[in-house]
Amino acid sequence: MIRMYLLLGFAFLFFHLYITGELSQYINMRYSYISFSAMIMFAFLTVVQFVLASRNEEARDHGEECCGHHHHEPSARWKRAVHYLIFVFPLVSAFLFPVATLDSDIVRAKGIHIPGMAADSGDPFAQRQFLRPDSSMYYGRDDYQNAMDKELKKYRRLARLELNEQNYLNVMETIYQFPGAFAARDIEFTGFVYREETARANEAFLLRFGIIHCVADSGVYGLLVQFPKAVPLQNDEWVHVKGTLSTMYYQPFHLTLPYVKVTSWKRVEKPKEPYVYRQFNE
Amino acid sequence: MMNTFLQLNTIFLSLLIESLPFVVLGVFVSGVIQMFVSEETVKRWVPKNRLLAIVSATLLGVFFPSCECSIVPITRRLVAKGVPLYAAVPFMLTAPVINPVVLFSTYIAFGSSWTMVLCRALFACAVAVAVGAVVAIWHKGGELRDERRELSPMPRTWKEKLIGTLRHTIDEFFATGKYLIIGAFIASAMQTYVKTSALVSIGNGKAAASLVMMALAFVLSLCSEADAFIASSFQSTFPFHALAAFLVFGPMLDVKNTLMLFQSFRARFVWKLIAYITLFVFAGSLLI
Repeated sequence: MIRMYLLLGFAFLFFHLYITGELSQYINMRYSYISFSAMIMFAFLTVVQFVLASRNEEARDHGEECCGHHHHEPSARWKRAVHYLIFVFPLVSAFLFPVATLDSDIVRAKGIHIPGMAADSGDPFAQRQFLRPDSSMYYGRDDYQNAMDKELKKYRRLARLELNEQNYLNVMETIYQFPGAFAARDIEFTGFVYREETARANEAFLLRFGIIHCVADSGVYGLLVQFPKAVPLQNDEWVHVKGTLSTMYYQPFHLTLPYVKVTSWKRVEKPKEPYVYRQFNE
Repeated sequence: MMNTFLQLNTIFLSLLIESLPFVVLGVFVSGVIQMFVSEETVKRWVPKNRLLAIVSATLLGVFFPSCECSIVPITRRLVAKGVPLYAAVPFMLTAPVINPVVLFSTYIAFGSSWTMVLCRALFACAVAVAVGAVVAIWHKGGELRDERRELSPMPRTWKEKLIGTLRHTIDEFFATGKYLIIGAFIASAMQTYVKTSALVSIGNGKAAASLVMMALAFVLSLCSEADAFIASSFQSTFPFHALAAFLVFGPMLDVKNTLMLFQSFRARFVWKLIAYITLFVFAGSLLI
C-alpha cells in the first residue's frame, strides 16, 4: 500500500505543478506534454498497484523469478523504511519548501558592484534588486498572481519579444516568473554589459537600471546573455542584442536562470534615458 | 543556511521533475520489450561473421530501451542461449544509451539540440564496437558465472505478459527511482556547496574534466533516462567532452550495474571489461 501512496503522491505532484503553473519554473513549457503524460502514467500505476497489491500477496514470491531477475524489496524493516523515506523526501520537500529565487541578497553575497547602483541608501525598506524585477511587495498575494497571469497572457502571444523603455520591466518580470513559457522565444533588447570575474569569455549580463515604484527601490535588471563566441566587450558598454530565450543552471548563483542565446548584436549609444520605469496601469 | 538549502532543494526538485517522466516511460517500455521479445528473436538478428555481429549487436541497442541494470540479466540470458560474447557485450553497452527514450531525454535536456544526442549515440557505438572487437580477439567464451542455472520460463498468455509488464514497471520504478533520487540529491549538493572556482579549476584541464565526470557518472549510478538532465545542469562548469564522457560512461558502468556484472560474469572478465570501457571512453572523450 505504501507504494500506492507514493505513486499517488507523484501523480499529485505533477498535477499540482501543472494546475498552479509552477511547472514553468522547472521545465520548458513546450514540453509540458511530457510532464502531463507523467501525471497520467503515475495515476495509472497507482491504480495498477492498488489492484495488484490487493489481489494476491503471495504473487510477490512468484514475481521474484518472473523475468529472470530479482526486484528486491529489502527484507529488514529499517531498510524498508529508509527505502521508502527516500521517495517521501522529494514529495514532502516539493510541497513544503518554496522555489529559491533571485533576490537582493545575492548582490551582497556576491559582492556585485555596479557603478551607479547605490549599495546602501540608508532606507531600511529599500531593496536593491538584481537581474529579476520583483514587484510582488506592491500587491497582495492573490493580486500579484492575477497580475502575473495577465502579463503572461499578454506576452506569451507574441512571436518575438521586443523590449523598449515602456515594457522592459514588465516583460523581464514575466520572463523570470514563467521561464518555461518563453523558452525558444525570440527576444531583442538593449542594455549595458556587466561581467563577473567568473564569467566565461562569451557570457555577460545585459542590464538596465530600473525603478519599480520609487527611487528607493531602484535596481539593475536584465538577462544573462551568451554570445556565439568570445566578445571584446567592456563593462558599461551599451549593446543591442537579438536572440532566443532559454534557461540554464548558472553555477555561480546556484540557480537556474533564463538567458539569451544571442544571434546578432551591435554596439549602441547609451540611451538618452537610461532608466526604465515599471508600468502599473493596464 | 536556509537559503542555501532552498537552492539545493530547488535544483534537486527540478532535476527530478525533468527526469521522472522519462524514467517511467523507459521502465515501461523496457518492461514491454522484456515480456514480448524473446532472446531467440535477438539471436536471429546477430549474423555469423564476427565483425558484422559486433556492429549489428551494437546497433540493436536502438530497439531495446532498458536501464543499465536490467540489461545485465538480459545479456546474461542471451549469452546462455548462445549469442557470442563479442556480440552480447556491445549490445549490453549500447542498449541503455542509444535507445529512443534516452536519446529523446538527451534532446530535451540539452535544450532541443541534436549535437549532444548525435555525439552521445556515435561515441557510445564507437566504444561498444571497440570493446566488442577486443572481446572477440581475447575472450573466447565461458565467462558466465554459474552457467548451469535454470532460467524460469517466460509467461505465455497475453494477460500474463501484460500483468508481468505492469508489475515489472512498478518494481523497476521503485528500484531505480531510489538511485535517481539519491543521485540527483548528490548532484544538487555538489552544485550548491562546492565552490564554483573549485569546479571550474577541475573542469579546466581536458583530461581532468573527463575523469571527474566519469567518476561522477560511476558513483551517481543514474538511470540513463535521467542522466542527461543531471549532465545539462553541469553545462556551465564542465566542457562538452566531459559531459559526453559522463553520458556514455554512466550507462555502461556504474556502482549498480558493476555489482550485477560481478554476479553474472566471472570476476576476471568483469575487471577486464571495466578496464576496456574506461579506457575507450576516456580516450574517446579527449578526441571530441
